[in-house]
Amino acid sequence: MRRIWAALTTTAVTAAALTGCGLGSGDSKNGDSVASAAATGEVKGKVSLQTWALKPKFTDYVQGVIDGFKKKYPGVEVEWLDQPGEGYSNKVLSQAAAGSLPDVVNLPPDFALPLAKKDLLLDVAKADPKLADEYVAGGVDAYRFAGQDGTYGYPWYLNTDVNYWSSELLGTNGLDPKKLPTTLDELIAQARVMKEKSGGRTYLMSRKPGIGDLYNAGVKIMADDGKSFTFNTPEAAALLDKYRDAFKEGLLPNDVLTNTYAGNTKLFNSGTAAWTTAGANYITALATDNPTLAPKVVPSPAMNTPPLYVQGLSIPKSTKNPAAAVALARWVTDAENQASLAHLTSVFPSTKASANDPFFSRSDGTNAGDAKVIAFTSLAKAKIIQPVQIDDAMSTVINQQIALAISGDATSKQALDSAVEQCNKLLKG
Amino acid sequence: MTHRRWFTPWLLAGPAIIWLAVFNLWPAVNTVILSFTNAKPLGGGQFTGLENYGRILDDAQLADALLNSIVFMLVCLPLLTVLPLLLALLVQRKIPGITFFRTAFYTPVIASAVVVALIWGWVLDDRGLVNGLLQQSGLADSPVSFLTDRWLLLFSAIALTAWKGLGYYMVIYLSALANVPGELHEAAAVDGASPFRRFWHVTLPGVRPTMMLISVLISVNALRVFSELYVLSNGQGGPGGRDMSVVMLIQMYSRGFTGHLGYASALSLMLFVITLGPMLLLMRLNRKAA
Repeated sequence: MRRIWAALTTTAVTAAALTGCGLGSGDSKNGDSVASAAATGEVKGKVSLQTWALKPKFTDYVQGVIDGFKKKYPGVEVEWLDQPGEGYSNKVLSQAAAGSLPDVVNLPPDFALPLAKKDLLLDVAKADPKLADEYVAGGVDAYRFAGQDGTYGYPWYLNTDVNYWSSELLGTNGLDPKKLPTTLDELIAQARVMKEKSGGRTYLMSRKPGIGDLYNAGVKIMADDGKSFTFNTPEAAALLDKYRDAFKEGLLPNDVLTNTYAGNTKLFNSGTAAWTTAGANYITALATDNPTLAPKVVPSPAMNTPPLYVQGLSIPKSTKNPAAAVALARWVTDAENQASLAHLTSVFPSTKASANDPFFSRSDGTNAGDAKVIAFTSLAKAKIIQPVQIDDAMSTVINQQIALAISGDATSKQALDSAVEQCNKLLKG
Repeated sequence: MTHRRWFTPWLLAGPAIIWLAVFNLWPAVNTVILSFTNAKPLGGGQFTGLENYGRILDDAQLADALLNSIVFMLVCLPLLTVLPLLLALLVQRKIPGITFFRTAFYTPVIASAVVVALIWGWVLDDRGLVNGLLQQSGLADSPVSFLTDRWLLLFSAIALTAWKGLGYYMVIYLSALANVPGELHEAAAVDGASPFRRFWHVTLPGVRPTMMLISVLISVNALRVFSELYVLSNGQGGPGGRDMSVVMLIQMYSRGFTGHLGYASALSLMLFVITLGPMLLLMRLNRKAA
């Protein structure tokens, strides 16, 4: 029996040594040859498209786009896979590790970066030299990564943050919805008024600062080469000091210390907080969650530089049908199809041709329509604020250390130094 | 007619052996191997020697996580060893309606840990039931930071674990109590022993092996605590990550595209070795007592 166990163990150890450590960099196919095949090959055969949580709300839309593609290229067959919202990164990760990524995959830039680093994605700019002429710079830049030579996705739809204010809470607590704060100092001053008038039952501020706030305070988040974090500056510490003092004064609820980004929206939805930031379609979603509150919401532009959120379609190098994959990615992200999607919900096209569509710059008079126009106008100056190098673990570490500084249990400098040190270790690790 | 072939036992045991090899032995061996590499989900895997283990010594968050796990174990151990026994003694009696109480005490066990932790999160929130009651009764002027203060958050998670685990261990004790011979109790009663003396000299020795088993289970579970702390702290582990458990750290380091599988594996092995400690100690104590 002992011998059998020994044999089993040896087999397992050998197998582990051979495969466990052999997580190679996937497909090593020459990118140029794939790009060349994509540019010159005939569009026919089977091609698969993977989207992220578009069913069932946008089933008809996507099916319509696919039908249009098949009509344009009669010899092509499209398999559409839609993955659920939860656990998408794990799904993509397992597909990438198994070498089974679909031909065209919806990947936000932070998902695309690790795959590009492993040489798993096609440089679409090589297959499609006109890319930069047809898509907005912010969208294309989102798929160009420091230290990586290439563009690793077609920009698809864009979004940004808009400020939302509860006019009812502002009005009943001595604040004027027409004089909304535009700086942190004004925000803190108005939060003080709200606290005094409401007796501490409602809050104006209900989220702790994040990387976006540091960026807007003039803090350089990362070195240009993308190899180290640099946000432990005196300016960053001064910003956290302001939040710490506001927290100590009771201007923010205790929840901010452990709440994630969504926690702020939850407090707004429940009528406990008077300010939140969210995407352009927030009021439409709120109409379902809290129909009484939705009509009383006033949108305004995000303070300082708004964040740019980009979704895109990438093509794995392992695709067996590069010509059809590139054609499909182009088709889904072309001006016409993107505009159709943007007319269905409050997202914005990444194509330059859509910039003059009056649909986006004209409100229908509702607060949701106003939010759409504000978001569209903001896109012109929106930037990708959070470096794509910041992964889940780093986000957690940054949140933890900022919370520690605001709670007053560590100085802002200590917390920022610790966050930078831990993030740099994770980056290098 | 007996018709035996040499491979018949292997054929019967085969599926179980394959299952164990694939889902137990292989992951365990792979974890050991990965702990000596810089493996990532999408590659890496170069041998780095003891680097990951060296990093363990340098990890400030790990010190907090270890302390939390140990406090968790030290508080849970007496709570969940003694309270379920007392509860089992109560519901062991054959009185009308006792089945209802047995079921009621067991109900939290079948509820999902995540769902229970979410409910406790709402109850202990600044605007939750507990803070509402405390403020309305004048016992607190402002909300008590059950979910944001380092120690209050830890003890909230311990209270949740104890509440949820009571029923489970109670059922184990009930079966052990049923095996304590009734004649011993009767003989002790005839000799004039008080209920407390009967408990001390008859019941306790009768359930001692079960008590040891339960202690081991509690220790191991407490050291591996995850869901309760994770959900109550919104996955953040409290300000500064000071409320993270070791398993939360492992989860934090291993998730995502850039997960540090090598370091997470080293942490897993360290936790495995730590869990062996209380197990061996309790087994030794049990052997001595026997």
